[in-house]
Amino acid sequence: MSTDTDDAPFAESEETPFTDIDLGWEHRKNRIFLGIIFAASMFGVVMLALLLLDVVTDFYRGQTEFGISLIDFFTRDGSRRQELAGFRGAIVASVMLMIFTAILAFFVGVGSAIYLEEYAPDNRVTRLIEANLANLAGVPSIVYGLLALAAFVNGIGLGPILLAGAIALALLVMPIIIVSTQEALRAVPDSMRNGSYATGATKWQTIRGVVLPAAMPGIMTGTILALARAIGETAPLIMVGALFTNRIAWGPFDRFSAMPTQIYNWAAEPEPHFIHLAATGIAVLLAFLFAMNGIAIYLRNKYERDL
Amino acid sequence: MTDNTSETGRIGMTSRRGFLVGTGAAGITALAGCSAGGSDGPSGTIDASGSNTVAPITSWAGENFENEYPDVLVDVAPEGTGAGFQEFCRGNSAVQSASREITEDEIGLCEEEDVDYGFIEVGLDGLSVVKNSENDWVDNITLDELQQIWEFESDVETWSDVRSEWPDEDMELHARDDASGTFDYFTEAINGELGNIRDDYSATSQTNEIMNAVASNEHGFGWGGLGYLRAIEDDQPIEAVPVESDADGEFYLPEQENIEEGTYSPLARPLFAYINLASLEEEPDLIGSFARFYVNNQHDFARDEGFYATTDEAQEANHDKIDDWLDQVGSDPDDITVQRA
Repeated sequence: MSTDTDDAPFAESEETPFTDIDLGWEHRKNRIFLGIIFAASMFGVVMLALLLLDVVTDFYRGQTEFGISLIDFFTRDGSRRQELAGFRGAIVASVMLMIFTAILAFFVGVGSAIYLEEYAPDNRVTRLIEANLANLAGVPSIVYGLLALAAFVNGIGLGPILLAGAIALALLVMPIIIVSTQEALRAVPDSMRNGSYATGATKWQTIRGVVLPAAMPGIMTGTILALARAIGETAPLIMVGALFTNRIAWGPFDRFSAMPTQIYNWAAEPEPHFIHLAATGIAVLLAFLFAMNGIAIYLRNKYERDL
Repeated sequence: MTDNTSETGRIGMTSRRGFLVGTGAAGITALAGCSAGGSDGPSGTIDASGSNTVAPITSWAGENFENEYPDVLVDVAPEGTGAGFQEFCRGNSAVQSASREITEDEIGLCEEEDVDYGFIEVGLDGLSVVKNSENDWVDNITLDELQQIWEFESDVETWSDVRSEWPDEDMELHARDDASGTFDYFTEAINGELGNIRDDYSATSQTNEIMNAVASNEHGFGWGGLGYLRAIEDDQPIEAVPVESDADGEFYLPEQENIEEGTYSPLARPLFAYINLASLEEEPDLIGSFARFYVNNQHDFARDEGFYATTDEAQEANHDKIDDWLDQVGSDPDDITVQRA
């Protein structure tokens, strides 16, 4: 309809220099472009919806047609017998992996972010470190798995244990934690730092008493999102040598199979029952992911207002 | 493809734990006893490598063994016989499932790495030739036709290239890749030479994928371990093709009686488990008990997983071998927790 109002005046006044331009076409291009970018942004949403629908359908079929009992699923370990197979060992291992990954990655990640943001001079070395961090964040996860295999599993002879998996995952998420911590630190206004200095506080007192508490919600959010990425990683754990059938890992020095690796191994079995066990496992893994993302969003919303 | 190139291909695709081995073996074996609890009986971790086909039997044996002795962990990695021997001969696994006997090259590798071993025969497998259920023209197939389809530089593209009365449509060929013992067995039995096969079929290390591909395409055709066919043939449109017997020239389906009586030949084969004697020497009670336990129940384990039992004589021979190995590594067979049943 806007085309009509635009076209009308030019049709009457022929001496204007723009008469040969078809504005109707220009407006159509405008609408076509809008349509394309809207479709592009909806693409991800539709794909996610399809994925979730697929997971929910397979989960439902697993419950009804294959009689997978959730109670058994949560209280049994893996098995060759499909009706005896459960997910308990994988869940325990994944939770332990998250704990050890968090311990390993958090302090190093936050420490290096504080150095880079608060202390490091703006020189070539700092820029080199920052460029390396950006590159590290883009390294495929399997490469971290190979590194952990070569350096820790075989190199220092740790063996394919849970701790080695946690090290691989910690290496993987550390750049994410560093970058998100840097952003959280940058978001703390300089006026707060200057106020602290004005009372005579040292730099470390300022960081510990003022900057870190103010940035902590952002740091926690970034860390939880990083761990949410780590919990779904399969390739590094397969490289490190996860078990093919999940068993409870009692400590960091036990062999393990985490949720994604157990799903991967079930999906490779021929029997449809195992495929639906894998689907049930995917539903559980997604529930973990949603819970972790939910906590991150909650933390962000809660503390954003307080600051 | 010659024997040699097939071997190089296999070394190139050595699986995860064999990659960058270095000092790994020491670390793994050192850790093997770490998760041990305090109770009686065998304890520790048994790493098993090997055949994608035989892994279900060894894995089922391992699980039963774990249930009997809770301090034991048996991890069975189904990477394929060839890939598995690369692990086994480097001392990275104590037990190796194999769907064929060890090859000359692998014997060489084991000698190079100073790995001494022995093997037991744990079951029989039928190799199934499979087609889609929609396919109503293939009622049987001769050994010559199979060779014609699968041999190196085969010019068979359509069904009618095999038998003129079959439709003039492209065949979709699916089979195992050269990491597997099934591949080695099939190429030797059908094409007459280990590793001799056409190079334009869909090759995979997962028998699963072969079965699914054939079940989803009317013109699909392939071969693979029978256990995988049995797992899905009731739910999916896939069935076995009767194959000519080299015993009497008749056509037979891969059924229990045909396999255990030997008429389904040459596509029935023995399945093996290799034992690393250094691991046995290190932990005679753990490895020895597992081997004994495996052999005591081998008929059940094989049948439970869709395979066929060996003869009782083969089972007895396995027991005698275990006695010999234990003597050889200086352990008294009577001191092992699990005794001959």
